[in-house]
Amino acid sequence: MVDPVSASTVLTPEMITASQAGLKAVGAGLAVGLTGVGTGLAEMCIGTAAVGATAENRDMFGLALIFTVIPETIVIFGLVVALLLLF
Amino acid sequence: MAEVTSGPAPYIYVSTRLRVRRAKLLRAEEYNRMLNMSLPEITRYIEELEYKTEIDELAPSFSGVDLVEVALSWNLAKEYQNVLALTPGSMAGFTAEYLRRWDIANVLTILRGRLQGFKPGKIKEVLIPAGALDRTVLDRIVTEESPERIAEGLRGTHLYQVVERELGPAVESGSFARFENELYKQYFADLIRAARAGIKGGSEFLQYIQLEIDITNMQNLWRLRAGGAIEEVRDYLIPGGRIPVDELNRLATAETVDEIVDSLKKRTNISALQDAIEELRCGCSVRQIENRLTRFKLEQMDRMSRRYPFSISPVLVYLERKRYEVYNLRAIARGKAANLAPERIQEYLVI
Repeated sequence: MVDPVSASTVLTPEMITASQAGLKAVGAGLAVGLTGVGTGLAEMCIGTAAVGATAENRDMFGLALIFTVIPETIVIFGLVVALLLLF
Repeated sequence: MAEVTSGPAPYIYVSTRLRVRRAKLLRAEEYNRMLNMSLPEITRYIEELEYKTEIDELAPSFSGVDLVEVALSWNLAKEYQNVLALTPGSMAGFTAEYLRRWDIANVLTILRGRLQGFKPGKIKEVLIPAGALDRTVLDRIVTEESPERIAEGLRGTHLYQVVERELGPAVESGSFARFENELYKQYFADLIRAARAGIKGGSEFLQYIQLEIDITNMQNLWRLRAGGAIEEVRDYLIPGGRIPVDELNRLATAETVDEIVDSLKKRTNISALQDAIEELRCGCSVRQIENRLTRFKLEQMDRMSRRYPFSISPVLVYLERKRYEVYNLRAIARGKAANLAPERIQEYLVI
């Protein structure tokens, strides 16, 4: 019978490196994913108001578009963090 | 196409649209400019604004002040129905409840017009079908010959109960004042019931209703005091406001305005209303006081719409402001047609 304690505690350097790389990838994914959700929530409110304002006054389109994309910065920060983690 | 029906998005969308529309309404300097114009110039001026479609459509059939008046009525009805179509969920319910005020105005116009012998066509020109009674129902009852037949035509509507009870005595006495008052009492009672039904956004709606009732009661109190009808005050006060009816009734017999103002300020712990009560001390004419109170109500509604930006408040602000824009334009047009001086017309404007 195989000793369960000795089987689970033996870690090779390759396994540790692979585990670190995996956790980095998870972190990068979370950084982009969560900031994406945050951006989406922020843009929902701004975008709705922007569409409403543009529906009444077409001249507002340019300004409304700028306001709508401002929360994109949040997901860009997430992307930068993800890139720093991966490379 | 998929439609977003939940979450804050529909409320944000409608509130923003109506805020933009509110910003497009006429400003004080535009009214002042119009006061120095002739009636044809005013017609051309408003044709360049939001009233173009109506003026163009009605120009072959009407002219002069009638053209302006009918175009304003049509535009108001169209605009209100458009707002009702835009509003989502509970907002639509509250907006529909609010718009029922126009049913009362239309029914009273029809009854008064028919009793004074006006032709149905002439009465139709001044109706504003913005409430629950649409143009079809109004067109049907306006052709009825007697008040009893008009009341019968309203069977099944929200007005029928009061109309059935109060119309007979009103026709007999020849005065519609009590009848009109009972209709508005019922209207406000219905509004309060809708606001307290536990629907989301009801508390903001209730705040508006209480403000409207308080201001209307103060205006009525002043009007009745000026007319010397102190004994009848209680009949004309609308229950449900923040200032109790008993208090207002007691104050109707007060000797001086200062006494009323001081007493009301002591009883009212709402800072917003304190300012409105202070307005009463100005020593102005009844019309000026009514005007000041109306302006105060509109400013207070603006404040409420900023405090609750995605509620029924911005919708109500737009509906009320639009109503007063039409009221002002009508006053200017009628004033110009009657050759009144600009200063005299200005007294009637709610700016």
